Amino acid sequence: MSEVNMSVNLGGLVMKNPVTVASGTFAAGREYNDFFDVSMLGAVTTKGVSLNGWEGNDSPRIAETASGMLNSIGLQNPGVAVLREKDLGWLEGKDVPVIVNVSGHSRQEYVDVIEALEGDDRVDAYEVNISCPNVDEGGMTFGTHVPSVEAVVSSCRAATKRPLIVKLSPNVTDIAEIARAAADAGADALSLINTLLGMAIDARTRRPQLARVVGGLSGPAVKPVALRMVWQVHQAVSVPVLGMGGISTGIDAAEFMLAGATAVAVGTANFVNPRAAADVADGLRAYCIEQGISDVNDLIGALEC
Amino acid sequence: MADSKLIEERALVVSNEQVDKRLYFTVLESPQIAAALCPGQFVHMQIPGMPDKILRRPFSVYATDPGSGTLKILYQVVGSGTEVLSNVVAGAHSSLIGPVGNTWTPPAGARALLVGGGVGAAPLFMLAQQLSEAGSGLCVVLGAQTKDALVAYDDYCALPGVRVVAATDDGSFGHAGFCTQPAQEAMDSGEFDYVAACGPDPLIRIVAGMAADRSLPCQVSLERRMACGVGACLSCVVDTVHGKKRCCVDGPVFEASEVVWQ
Ligand SMILES: Cc1cc2nc3c(=O)[nH]c(=O)nc-3n(C[C@H](O)[C@H](O)[C@H](O)COP(=O)(O)OP(=O)(O)OC[C@H]3O[C@@H](n4cnc5c(N)ncnc54)[C@H](O)[C@@H]3O)c2cc1C
Ligand SMILES: Cc1cc2nc3c(=O)[nH]c(=O)nc-3n(C[C@H](O)[C@H](O)[C@H](O)COP(=O)(O)O)c2cc1C
Ligand code: FES
Repeated sequence: MSEVNMSVNLGGLVMKNPVTVASGTFAAGREYNDFFDVSMLGAVTTKGVSLNGWEGNDSPRIAETASGMLNSIGLQNPGVAVLREKDLGWLEGKDVPVIVNVSGHSRQEYVDVIEALEGDDRVDAYEVNISCPNVDEGGMTFGTHVPSVEAVVSSCRAATKRPLIVKLSPNVTDIAEIARAAADAGADALSLINTLLGMAIDARTRRPQLARVVGGLSGPAVKPVALRMVWQVHQAVSVPVLGMGGISTGIDAAEFMLAGATAVAVGTANFVNPRAAADVADGLRAYCIEQGISDVNDLIGALEC
Repeated sequence: MADSKLIEERALVVSNEQVDKRLYFTVLESPQIAAALCPGQFVHMQIPGMPDKILRRPFSVYATDPGSGTLKILYQVVGSGTEVLSNVVAGAHSSLIGPVGNTWTPPAGARALLVGGGVGAAPLFMLAQQLSEAGSGLCVVLGAQTKDALVAYDDYCALPGVRVVAATDDGSFGHAGFCTQPAQEAMDSGEFDYVAACGPDPLIRIVAGMAADRSLPCQVSLERRMACGVGACLSCVVDTVHGKKRCCVDGPVFEASEVVWQ
């Protein structure tokens, strides 16, 4: 087999291949250990973590929709201390970088989570999820208007020198504007897309399918939207992009890289095929060989319009 | 708790047989999962031929035959996935993840009362087989809407040393009415020191309440919508006195006393 360089650099995070998992779909990897070895991945991205833990939303928390699903898990997590003990403990010694996905209800909470992890050398990068409701500002999500994006990103930036990835919400009018705000405030990389707000209804009972009424859409159904946003963001900023949204094959991953992504994440596909993330990494390499590409970096933004 | 490894296996559909209007037994060849599976555990099944619905469906395993490497599922057609499944023919393939979840844990030597409503009869059958072999006394109460829907009745009756009581909503067979009444009578007889229940949520709740009133230890098998089926996504949580637990891997069997009913 011919050699392909699969290694990429995502804003200072060196990954042996461009494939990680989407936060919240893979826990910290232990649950998938019977299916493949996490060291096959370019990085593991952990479930969103807050300072002291959140209960999450009521059930039902998911609904299946055409080629996708809605979720309203509500960022249930046991808090950063438990993440360190259990998840980082499990990942320790595994040959894979760890991206910790950070949640907060206030600017200070994001900073507190990062500070709780700064001394922990099992963490390689942060992915700051700015789709959380901003309690200080009346519950509107941080990620949907420029001033709160700037504020939360610059606070996180001041708290760490590690690679800082900012995860954007697609539920905005102009993704490029939000991307620029995050990059200007010090993000080393941007990840997108988080889930698209949607809902599902049971016509017979006249009731919403989710206890929270609305939830986030993910899976193959969102891929065209995700590709479009990755492409727009790649054109708007100079920092690298971690692309996600409906990726389930190596070809999907290649499409995201052509649109401008430096790395990709596999989310909902893990639920369909528990080996999906490993299969995407293998499939991307196979695509490169088939296309006669010797360096996967050559794909980044190579879309010919 | 069964601490077996999870296996993803390509399974051959050996048969898929309609046994009542909306009820089917399907036999799948899945030798590794069939060999490892314990009573109460389930498989997370990809429905063949349904490209626009991507999630797997969880089904309890009704019985296994490690000799032939097969497992059997009893399912009811309730929606799009089970509708498609009912049209799958022998020779098709599906992907299974299993064995998922924990198992029933009756106390050693327990004289057990099993209560199964509808397809709730499915996750109890392997437990009944196990208890029948142990031979310490077992009564099974099965409920269904009609006589024809009591599709597991004969299998249960064939187990040595098992008393089977049937109830039908329309009175076409056995006790007329819900199976909660024969279940209550059995509990009041004082013959039992362990209760296991599965079926529609309201049934489970009533049985759990009756067991609690009589200080009988009771386990229930619960259903939640599941995405990953392996414990990673937190889609399937059950409210318990110890906080939220994952139905797929911390359950599906729970101590009834631990569940906080909605
Ligand atoms: C641990 C466990 C064991 C089960 N064992 C059996 C069994 O032995 N026999 C049987 O007939 N049924 C069983 N069920 C229920 C079965 O999974 C659902 O009836 C089935 O998923 C319905 O799919 P559908 O596409 O036909 O329905 P739809 O309503 O079209 O499904 C839409 C979505 O909701 C989910 N869903 C709908 N109803 C349920 C439900 N009751 N529980 C979980 N998810 C649901 C589906 O999986 C799918 O993702 C079990 C459920 C669980 C959680
Ligand atoms: C069940 C579930 C839980 C999720 N939890 C998180 C989370 O904790 N933090 C986060 O930033 N994104 C979370 N997401 C969003 C995903 O990481 C990802 O951005 C999105 O699902 C799109 O990718 P996909 O289509 O490949 O799933 C979650 C998604 C799902 C389906
Ligand atoms: S279905 Fe994902 S945690 Fe149970």
